[in-house]
Amino acid sequence: MEKLLEILEELQPDVDFEKCENLVDGRYLDSLTILSLISEIEDAFDVQIPTVEIIPANFNSAKKIWELIERLQEE
Amino acid sequence: MSYFDILYFLVFVPIVVIVYNIFPKKIRPLILCIASLVFYLFYSKFLIVFLLLSILSIYLSGRWMSSLDKKKEMALEQAKKEEKKEIKEKVQKKKRWILLGTILFNVAFLFFFKYLGFFTRVTNQLLQVAHVDVCFKIIKCAAPIGISFYTLQAISYLVDVYHEKFVAEKKFFKVMLYLSFFPTIVEGPITRFQEVSSTIYEGVRVSYHNFCFGYQRILLGLFKKIVIADRLNIFVKSTFDNFSIYSGMTLACSAIFYTILLYMEFSGTMDVVIGTAEIFGIQLPENFRQPFFSKNISEFWSRWHITLGTWFKDYVFYPVSLSKPVKKITTFIKQKKGIRLSSLVMGAIALFAVWSLNGLWHGAGYHFLFFGYYHFTLILLGNIFEPTIAKICEKLKIDRKKKGYHAFQIVKTSILVFIGELFFRANTLHEGFGMMKKILTDFSWKDFGELFTIGLDIKDYFLLGISLLVILGISILREKKVSIREKIASKPIYLRWSIYYLLILAIIIFGAYGTGYVPVAPIYADF
Amino acid sequence: MKNALKSIVFIGILFVLLISISYLLLPREGVFRYGIIKTAEYEILGEKKDSIDVVFVGDSLIYSGISPMEIWNQFGYTSFDMANAAQLLEVSYKDIQVAIESQHPKFIFLESNVLYRESKNKPWNYDWVHFFETYVPIQKYHDNWKKYVLPWIDDTAKFSRINVYKGFRYITDHQKGTNLSYMDYSKKVKKIPEENKKWLQKIQALCQENHVTLLLISTPNMKNWNYKKHNGTKEVADEYGIEFLDLNIDNPVQIEWSIDSRDGGNHLNYKGAKKLSHYLGEYLKKTGILTDHRSDSHYESWNEAYQVYSNHLK
Repeated sequence: MEKLLEILEELQPDVDFEKCENLVDGRYLDSLTILSLISEIEDAFDVQIPTVEIIPANFNSAKKIWELIERLQEE
Repeated sequence: MSYFDILYFLVFVPIVVIVYNIFPKKIRPLILCIASLVFYLFYSKFLIVFLLLSILSIYLSGRWMSSLDKKKEMALEQAKKEEKKEIKEKVQKKKRWILLGTILFNVAFLFFFKYLGFFTRVTNQLLQVAHVDVCFKIIKCAAPIGISFYTLQAISYLVDVYHEKFVAEKKFFKVMLYLSFFPTIVEGPITRFQEVSSTIYEGVRVSYHNFCFGYQRILLGLFKKIVIADRLNIFVKSTFDNFSIYSGMTLACSAIFYTILLYMEFSGTMDVVIGTAEIFGIQLPENFRQPFFSKNISEFWSRWHITLGTWFKDYVFYPVSLSKPVKKITTFIKQKKGIRLSSLVMGAIALFAVWSLNGLWHGAGYHFLFFGYYHFTLILLGNIFEPTIAKICEKLKIDRKKKGYHAFQIVKTSILVFIGELFFRANTLHEGFGMMKKILTDFSWKDFGELFTIGLDIKDYFLLGISLLVILGISILREKKVSIREKIASKPIYLRWSIYYLLILAIIIFGAYGTGYVPVAPIYADF
Repeated sequence: MKNALKSIVFIGILFVLLISISYLLLPREGVFRYGIIKTAEYEILGEKKDSIDVVFVGDSLIYSGISPMEIWNQFGYTSFDMANAAQLLEVSYKDIQVAIESQHPKFIFLESNVLYRESKNKPWNYDWVHFFETYVPIQKYHDNWKKYVLPWIDDTAKFSRINVYKGFRYITDHQKGTNLSYMDYSKKVKKIPEENKKWLQKIQALCQENHVTLLLISTPNMKNWNYKKHNGTKEVADEYGIEFLDLNIDNPVQIEWSIDSRDGGNHLNYKGAKKLSHYLGEYLKKTGILTDHRSDSHYESWNEAYQVYSNHLK
């Protein structure tokens, strides 16, 4: 989780990722930033994020993203 | 029968409402389905065959894919661990073929009706350049109405079933209703199956409340279209069709007027569409979210024609950027140049695909492609230079969170949009450049008087100004998330009714209809 | 139940509002002279008394094919289209009565296609449309709001669109007409229904009584006109001694069916209307009866209206 927050903060410095609950719906992360995020995550956690998983519900908060990563790691 | 036809909102919809309410809950979705087919027949007559073929194709292959999934689940339960992967892959492969086949089948119709003419022309031009003395005959035929919209919906349905987001619908008429629902069939919004299935098959009785709310929304749409868009059309039509005789000043106004016209026409249609669905208790996604408050082009596209944007994002942008060939390129760049550049390249490739398709989707023509690439370039440049702009602002001590800076961004974005729409409306790409050139080289405030000689007089401008202020007011309230209709509904009856009467009478008195007016043809219906 | 009642009251009030505003927006000169309802029903009553030289009476062929403003601009004659869709001859009779009463024109042209329309075949919505056009005239006169908004600015506002178009409907769509052999010679005769013959006699009597020249005219139309109808009309016209002008024979107007029709040869579009109006202007000029009013100060409003008209058409 620490690592994820670090990545997020680097991508978008002026958002409070620990509290924000509408990262996608509130347009804090646009589609290009999400792309960078995905490649960072894939690198750092050694997972593959399939297209189906790229929905606002999975990316709206740091917690949700973390859940996604954990789920993918299990598979 | 267009959505702005008296026949639609004063005859067709009320009849559907009555019939719908007479029947029991279970049969009501079927009534909507029949109403949709009747509506389609009005518009496209025998071309309905193509709609039915599309429906049938996605119904069958959807069912096929879901039954494969079911078999897979059963096989997996009994299979040993080593076999599991193999079973999965086998099914996946088969499903992929079904998916591709059905998409191709549907896209083939779209191609035939919309692009064959354009591509034959391009081929002929190329052959001419190459001095080959062959000329293919250009086949012209009317397309089934809404083909660009329902084809996208069909594709989204298939892909979602393929990804097992939901199990394919078992009842044929339900798939039929999803694809042919009469309010959305002509100009969208492009809905997703999951999004509408929760309300569209419910068969909720039309209540007095829903009926009134639905018609309020329809009224607002009529106001935007008949009072504003149709009046501006007088000016826009003459200037775009005959631009060489007008001054740069007039043409600049024309680009702005056209953008307003397009917004009023399209979002007005959406008001009628969403309002109609609301009558039946069906929630459709919004297609616009005050686009002219956008701070950059990328934000603009998340507020304008939203359902098209998200469709492209989900079914083109992410699949392309995460596809194997693109990933290969980006991992290579990542190793050499770092992650920022690699994700930028990844985004650029995907964006290029999105905007090529977006341009083409709007129509077969070089100016539409240009329109697509124009926005592609703007979005890409915006992203590349974002860090630079941030630095410059820091150095100049400009606070990017201040209202003044936001206003500047909004104006900048609007101007960029006006330019894009000028090319969008121009009859050809060549004429678009001609107009642009005139605006830049032949602009003088002295030509102000010319604005009053092109079908609009001072009183027309006055009326347009007031009407736009009303719309602006509504937009600001919406942006602030004030629920206007709830607020009006809570007012005493004399006030509420006065507002409705004012709106209705404004449409009837100030509408640009009747002798000598040329109403805007439904613009997006042609796409 | 309460809601149903509410809806009825709402719609009731709406109608009252609509009708009262309708009448506010009617041309006032007409209202004072002819009363509210009649002014609402006949557009020509918005014109100054006895100011129109020529009236064209008939169905959609007239309002699509003849633009009085074009005739004005080229010849200086004042004319007006009194036409509605699928007009019946009995309605034409009433129109002609009103035209004579209010304008006393020198010429009245009657579209001969109307002679073949029988009242038993009238379209289902004919009476409805007529009812609404008469009792809720707002859709015709809504543009007159310009007289009430910013009243101190008085440029083009003195004209309603009806004053500008004079009954003509400006449509620029085009669809090629292909039935080029529609006027092939034939000996057969399509008889005019007896009922309509009687109405024609009444119309003729009315015109003679008021010293108005009545002409039958068949405007270019490849879908609804043919040689059999020509023969039938000719027979009756000769019998009654009415002049009959069939513009479908030898195409004197030089209509190019590939560009001049809006719906594949049935109605003319604006391009076609320009040609037909010019032809009729020439025809009227040859009679030598009418005078050119273009520089007559009494008709200044026509020149101003033409300015508005040509602005619209840009």
